[in-house]
Amino acid sequence: MTPLTIPVFQILLSLLGDELHGYALIRDIRERTADEVRLTASTLYAAIKRMVDAGLIEELEHRPRQAKDDPRRRYYRITAAGRAVAREEARRLERLTAMAREKRLLPSLRPSSVQKGS
Amino acid sequence: MIPAVVRQPFAVSLYRLALRALPYRFRLEYAEQMQLVFADLHRDATRDGGWRRGLRQFLAELPGLARLIEREHREARHARAAARVHNPRENSDMLDSVILDLRFALRSLRKSPGFAVIAVLTLGLGFGANTAIFSIINGVLLKPLAFAESERLVALGEGTQADPPNTLDGTTPGSFFDWKAQATAFSGIAAFTTGRTSLTRACPQGGCEPESVVFSSSTGGLLNVLGVQPFFGRMPIATDEVPGQPEVVVLSHGLWRRLFGEDRAVLGRTLTLGGRARTVIGVMPPGFRFPDGTVELWTAMQMTPEFRTNRDQYYLQVVARLKPEVTMERARADMETVAARLRSEWAQYNTDLRINAVALRESVVGDVGPRLYILQGAVALVLLITCANLGNLLLARAAARRREIAVRQALGAGRGRVVRQLLTESIVLAVAGGAVGIVLGKGFLRLLLASQSAANLPRVEDIRLDPTVLAFTFAIAVAAGIAFGIAPALQLAGSRSSEALRQGSRGNTGGGGVRSVLVVSELALAVVLLAGAGLLLRSFALLQQVDSGVRTDRLVTFSVRLPTPNPTFVSTSLERIGALPGVRSVAVVSQLPVTGRGIGAWFNIIDRPTPANETPPGEAYRVVTPEFFATTGVPLRRGRLFTSADRLEAPAVIINEALARKYWPNDDPLGKLIYLGAPDNRLFQQGTIAGVVGDTRDGGLGAEPLPIVYIPLAVMPAWPEFSYVIRMAGDPGSDLGLGSIVASARREIRALDPTLPIRNVQTMNEVLRDSVAPQRFSMTLLSVFAGLALVMAALGVFGVLSFLVSQRTRELGIRIALGAAPGRVRAMVVGQGMRLALMGVGVGVVGALAATRLMSSQLFGVTSSDPVTYVAVSVLLIGIAGIATYLPARRATRVDPMVALRAE
Repeated sequence: MTPLTIPVFQILLSLLGDELHGYALIRDIRERTADEVRLTASTLYAAIKRMVDAGLIEELEHRPRQAKDDPRRRYYRITAAGRAVAREEARRLERLTAMAREKRLLPSLRPSSVQKGS
Repeated sequence: MIPAVVRQPFAVSLYRLALRALPYRFRLEYAEQMQLVFADLHRDATRDGGWRRGLRQFLAELPGLARLIEREHREARHARAAARVHNPRENSDMLDSVILDLRFALRSLRKSPGFAVIAVLTLGLGFGANTAIFSIINGVLLKPLAFAESERLVALGEGTQADPPNTLDGTTPGSFFDWKAQATAFSGIAAFTTGRTSLTRACPQGGCEPESVVFSSSTGGLLNVLGVQPFFGRMPIATDEVPGQPEVVVLSHGLWRRLFGEDRAVLGRTLTLGGRARTVIGVMPPGFRFPDGTVELWTAMQMTPEFRTNRDQYYLQVVARLKPEVTMERARADMETVAARLRSEWAQYNTDLRINAVALRESVVGDVGPRLYILQGAVALVLLITCANLGNLLLARAAARRREIAVRQALGAGRGRVVRQLLTESIVLAVAGGAVGIVLGKGFLRLLLASQSAANLPRVEDIRLDPTVLAFTFAIAVAAGIAFGIAPALQLAGSRSSEALRQGSRGNTGGGGVRSVLVVSELALAVVLLAGAGLLLRSFALLQQVDSGVRTDRLVTFSVRLPTPNPTFVSTSLERIGALPGVRSVAVVSQLPVTGRGIGAWFNIIDRPTPANETPPGEAYRVVTPEFFATTGVPLRRGRLFTSADRLEAPAVIINEALARKYWPNDDPLGKLIYLGAPDNRLFQQGTIAGVVGDTRDGGLGAEPLPIVYIPLAVMPAWPEFSYVIRMAGDPGSDLGLGSIVASARREIRALDPTLPIRNVQTMNEVLRDSVAPQRFSMTLLSVFAGLALVMAALGVFGVLSFLVSQRTRELGIRIALGAAPGRVRAMVVGQGMRLALMGVGVGVVGALAATRLMSSQLFGVTSSDPVTYVAVSVLLIGIAGIATYLPARRATRVDPMVALRAE
């Protein structure tokens, strides 16, 4: 399968945790990637449109109850399909890094860290 | 954190502007969100790093936006291309897309046949009524007369300065020949008169029955002025008008066929017309009618030189043809010059003479216009109500179709495209309704024309469903289709497709407001129609209560025209008929009561001579036999009735109260001496007023009684045409047995003169009924239309309330679950309906007050703002609306809360 683009994968990751609106997505991605991935409004919605069309995410019918911000904002949440696609992409990345380790490109994982990560 | 609306930073405005480059569909969905996000980011950037960071942020946005714009446009193009592949003909060109719309419309209507059938039938009814009435208007008022360049034909007639300018009273031979000699505006001018006479043709075997025919006798080349050619043969020429020349006659096509079986050898044959032999010289073409369809023969008048200068026999009607380039105004001015000359040259006859000129068509049509236009207005209102109802039906359908339309929009159908598609559907419905309407209209028209009252319409022969009428029906069908389709179409196309898709088919369409407006207008229109019909009904009822002045029951009448005056015949026939069993009394009269003013003459009072150079007033007169008053029940008020002692040697006359009031308001008319006619041409030398009798409504039940002078037949023995009036013995209030009396009377007349046709056999009640036939015609039709309107409006109220109740099922369910009493719920729904009804009545009453003003001329005894009518109409409409709200209200109380809540 074709790899996901960076914005799409990042948006899926952000939505795994919470239902977010556009600005919050950009903020969340910047924070998680330490300013490495900086989406603009245009790139964000170019991705959102494709993801909505593909059924990876969906617009919320009602805003979350606790939302106190601008009522015009629309919120998005990840769909089951989106979750599956994100997991598939993560596995692909995992396989890639495993290959890199085999070639000693990266240090192999110590068992303790495996336990830490589980 | 809801940001207060502050002045937007310049960058945000710029960004928003840039967003407009995106395709419409994308913009609709995301532009607002993008702008919000951009504004947030921009705010962050400027807060952290001033305008430089802000600028960097703005510039960073651009490459992504450019790529997005490029990509979205490419995708939109692909989507359209894909749609074309899916349906290769769409958008290829205008005609193809119209065909596509049509096909789609038919398919969509086939899917809901019940709706389609109801819509087409209701529309058909509305169009049918409009088609029928418009056929009449077209034939009577709009179509040009069937003569060459008929718009140049003018009717001329006399009036006084006080008369309305369309008065066309007859003129005298002397005046006519003056007009002919002096007028310059006309290329031809002719005079004619019509009458009835008996026609006998020389039958080879003999024994041909005489028949009564209507003929027209003319001078000045009438048929040439009209610009018609004979079917074959020739038309009368000037020499045919010279006394002593052989008398000639031209036949109508119908008469030629009836009498001679279309035998062309008819030319030169002889007909006996009113006792005089006339030679057939020509036959007119089939469509020729003048002055109306009853005339079957045209003859040339042969006036003696003395009679050509007669100035007191007002019996000629005049038609003229305008010279090319001469306007009606020029012609009027021209005739005014002639009139001025006549006023000074013949002052005695023409004191305040005016010569009026009216387009011939107007003179033929007369005052029937307002009556017909009121009916057309009424059917137009019915059609409007139909449209409002259909608009409502379509809105209900729209609720169910929202999802379908949303899908079409999501697949790339533009807003305009959707509106066009929906309008195509309603126009298809309307045109189908139009086709049904033409069929129904043809039926309606036949019914209308068959009803006897239509016989009072002029130009009945010209009324038919012709291409003009078809075009009219088609035009109103398309207009109606647009009218009732536009609201639902706009509403559907304007809704946000994403919402519709999300809501699915359960959607609340809104539209409640539009529907209420439609219902209120329906109700208002119905009020206008009902008020109009109500006013006519009241007028008609009042009209029928008017005392005609005659005791009409058990009174029967027929008319006879003698070929030559024959007083002996009259007295003998009266004796014989009077002796028949069952006959109480019998008389003759020159003109029946209630059938119009009839013939009149100058009225002169001996002790009040008319000043020289002034024309005496004209009054109507009747020639009667002494029994006339007893027979018809016209009561004696003062003095005495006629007896057999009233003879030519000692003339006595009787006047009615109207005449007495007019000339002797404070005085006793009895014993006064009068004469009728011109000083040198009197009907009789002079007579004493011997009695005053009650008035009869000869000008029509709705008009004031006319002044009338009654003259004994013995004083005017030369009178040739009579109506016999026979009063039967027996039970008053029943007209039983009149038929056998008439049969016996006919036998008696035949025994005296077998060649005499007997016409117009009628009871007096029928005569009276015929006199109000035009009013009955208008009233009946308007009542039918108002009834239709009422039913439609009730259906509208019912429909919209049912819709509102179904929309509120959930709410009502909750109310009931929370313990609302069914009575409260019912009252709430009924109240909603009543609010609509009251609004409709309110608007309608205002509209009706304005609209019915236009029909004041058709009213009798009531004003157009008659409170009784308005109250009755309002109560009726509110009552009907109440009934229409009942069913939905009952359904509302039967809502099962559980079902209602689960329904979502």
